[in-house]
Amino acid sequence: MSFVTIFALGIAAFIALPILAHRLRRRRAEERAFPAAALVPPAPPRARRRAKLEDRALFGVRALAIAALALLGASPLVRCTRLSLSRSSGASMAVAIVIDDSMSMRAKAGNQTRFARAKAAASELLAGTRDGDAVGVVLAGSPPRVALAPTTELDAVSSVISSTTESDRATDLDGAIHLAETLLAALPQVDKRVVVLSDLADGKPDAPALGENAVVPIWAPLAEIRDTKETDCAITSADDTGGRVIVRLVCGKDVSASGRRVEVRAGERVVGSGTATTTTDLSVDVTGVTPGEALTAHLLGGDAIATDDVAPVLVSQSGAIGVVAEAADETAVTGGPPVVEQAFAALRSDLATRPLPAVPDQPGDFHGFFGLVVDDPPGFTPEQRRALSQYLEGGGVMLVALGPRASAAPLGATLQPLLDHATTWSEAKSKGAKPDADAVLLGEATRSLVDLGAAKRTTLSPADVGSVENLVAWSDGAPLVARRVIGRGEAWIVTLPFALDASDLPLRPAFIALLDAFVATTHTHAAPRRADVGATWTLPSGASAAKGPSGAIDLVREGGRAKLSPPVVGAYHVTIDGKDELRVAAPIARETDLRPRALKSQEASSHLGATQAQVDISPYVAVALLLLLFAELALRLRAGQSPGEKMIG
Amino acid sequence: MTTSFPWGDIASLRIRSRLVAEGVYAGAHRSARRGSGIEFGGHREYVAGDDLRWLDRRALLRHGRHLVRQFETETDRALRLVVDASASMGYRGSRAPETKLGVASLLAAALARIAVASGDPIGLAYLGGGSARPVALSGGREAFDRLLGSLENAKAEGDAVRDPEMLERSFGVLERAARRGSVVIVLSDLLDLPRDTAEHFSAMAARGRSVVVVQVLAPDEIDLPFDGTVRLRALEGDVVVETDTAVARDAYLAALRGLAAHYETTLMARGARFLRVSTADDPVASVRAIVGAVR
Repeated sequence: MSFVTIFALGIAAFIALPILAHRLRRRRAEERAFPAAALVPPAPPRARRRAKLEDRALFGVRALAIAALALLGASPLVRCTRLSLSRSSGASMAVAIVIDDSMSMRAKAGNQTRFARAKAAASELLAGTRDGDAVGVVLAGSPPRVALAPTTELDAVSSVISSTTESDRATDLDGAIHLAETLLAALPQVDKRVVVLSDLADGKPDAPALGENAVVPIWAPLAEIRDTKETDCAITSADDTGGRVIVRLVCGKDVSASGRRVEVRAGERVVGSGTATTTTDLSVDVTGVTPGEALTAHLLGGDAIATDDVAPVLVSQSGAIGVVAEAADETAVTGGPPVVEQAFAALRSDLATRPLPAVPDQPGDFHGFFGLVVDDPPGFTPEQRRALSQYLEGGGVMLVALGPRASAAPLGATLQPLLDHATTWSEAKSKGAKPDADAVLLGEATRSLVDLGAAKRTTLSPADVGSVENLVAWSDGAPLVARRVIGRGEAWIVTLPFALDASDLPLRPAFIALLDAFVATTHTHAAPRRADVGATWTLPSGASAAKGPSGAIDLVREGGRAKLSPPVVGAYHVTIDGKDELRVAAPIARETDLRPRALKSQEASSHLGATQAQVDISPYVAVALLLLLFAELALRLRAGQSPGEKMIG
Repeated sequence: MTTSFPWGDIASLRIRSRLVAEGVYAGAHRSARRGSGIEFGGHREYVAGDDLRWLDRRALLRHGRHLVRQFETETDRALRLVVDASASMGYRGSRAPETKLGVASLLAAALARIAVASGDPIGLAYLGGGSARPVALSGGREAFDRLLGSLENAKAEGDAVRDPEMLERSFGVLERAARRGSVVIVLSDLLDLPRDTAEHFSAMAARGRSVVVVQVLAPDEIDLPFDGTVRLRALEGDVVVETDTAVARDAYLAALRGLAAHYETTLMARGARFLRVSTADDPVASVRAIVGAVR
């Protein structure tokens, strides 16, 4: 603090002058011993009035004006406790502010949440920027998102910061920092910096220290929100298995929910309860529940984060893949189930595989099947076609291998709704698939089909070829694996049967990759009703609206399909083709681990920034001074006295 | 006539009281002191055995009859002094040479010396005074010495406001002990005393006793000379008054006059006398006024 500052602040001492003058005038009279005091009348009102402050408002205004004057003189050097960036030079700088909007930031830090503190810190940093500085905002909730690319429009940055809200996402600090570095890379400023406003609790406390191998200097202030004393437990799932709700509890490291009470409620009514034990799953019997009544599971006792202590209860839904294949038709007898079933078993998918004798001809028979695999069907009967149409239109996924029987379908049996025309089983004109064809679907495994051994293959009619999407092609361009979208569902068509005597396709790695992709697709179409919060839900094109715990959510359209990324945990109601579907965004277990990740030592050092900043508050003080002067004028006018007539005392 | 005295620590009460008493003598006719206590009571016929010194020769020549002069002699002309030694008497003020208790002691000692010189017994009682020791009624120089010793050791102590029985303790005894013809002189500032004190004093005047109540005040108490706003704290009781003296002076003086008028009216109704002396006054004049007030 320089002499100028001290001198300016010294002006504030002048406040004491009117106070001192008043005190001198109204000081207690000198006390004297006087035997006849009882005969002396006390001070008359006139004397007392003279000792009173005549106009407190005017006195207060003038005292404040003097204080404002002193601050005005010293304001350029006044220090405030707030974050500020240190500048290595006088030039402008580029800053990427990483704000952690993950669920762990909902924990309290003092009298506010960690997220609120981070948001306030971002505003403080922004207040310390100058014209020419470029500031960007990255949100570290998974997946990391660019809230605002670096810009010199600081008002826009301020607007974005103020509009950020808490979420229940997982933390992806590495991704967010990488994203921030990418944003800063192209900027011309020499002085670049990534400021991480996070509790660093990304569930990976043992991971390498944050900031290692960083290209841009990283500064992670806000050590005060990295309190390791806080603990948290969460309900990650609650499934109604018919009179019994299975509640899955997860807690942070070395934290147990044992002893905490869990209640299942229908609205405000408690329909079942239990006490958590050391095991993660708690079974709660529920009674008095009306069918279709919405239930919620509540973890009582309170902890660092409240939002993850409540979870909607979902009715447990088991799914399977139906397989229509006959092992008896295979000349290469394996002695077990058909090859395709064995391949599914090898995938160790979470979906069960159920053999079916034939393609169901009743729509109700498809219930419980997320996917249907049919090996070389001899066409479909009208009943089967109608049932299949409904199944596929409703979002079902089907994998059909076409072989000689499909080509020799009896009269009245067609391949509709998959194909509109008949196929032919004929000599293969070319060997193998295109090595680079649609690697997206099968990836590296596509190469295993280059020398695919098949004497014959199914050829689609040209009309059908135009209506399908060629996923994997023969070397001559004919479809080997094709996809046709039917309603909300889709059908994958393979132009080789799965029988070993027809080709060695089942023996190729690509076959397993194909089935794996099919299973993944069934998962997508089966609309998993519970998913991690923050994960993107791909919805059918018929999805028109979504409503989450915090209100309506806009759907994002991409490639004809709607997408939704639930930001907070809870129940979401999605309207698809006029029908309401309940989906649940569940908390991510690792967010309950509130231990901060290690930080590279230099990233907290003061050369990158400080928690105290020199703030020029003179504009505000000047405005305040002006207002005080107006106030004094108003007071004088009200009193109807000329200036100087009314002071104090 | 004003006499200068070595006040305070320089002269003892004995010397000062002697000087005051002699001043009183000097202002009076010495002859007046002859036959003190004897008043002419008329004539009667001479009978054998009467003292021939009282035979009235002029009456014999004028009327041809033997008449003897008849005198009435007071049986007891004892002087009983009551000195107020309560805390308020310790006040001196800015313009007085001595505290009120000091001046009252001087006046009492001078009066005692006059009485002793006249052969009258003297007694001393206190109002308050804490450890001050009263002097029983007795005559002669020894009595005067005891009285001086008592007055010299008296300190202004006691609170008549908090101890309203103080007056009863002093006057109860005095009222029973003082005989007819006794002279009772009360030296007090009359401040902070109970409201019925004047009735107590006037009651002493019954049964042929001569009572003189002397209000001893400091000059500051008489005219309230302070300027501006002051906080005045009484020496007895808890009274603390913050006042603007310029405004309050007239009301104070009126209250002081009212107090004096109350005592004067009450005392005169029973034949007692009321005087006010200032501690700045010439003590000789004060004693002379007191002596003159004794009937």
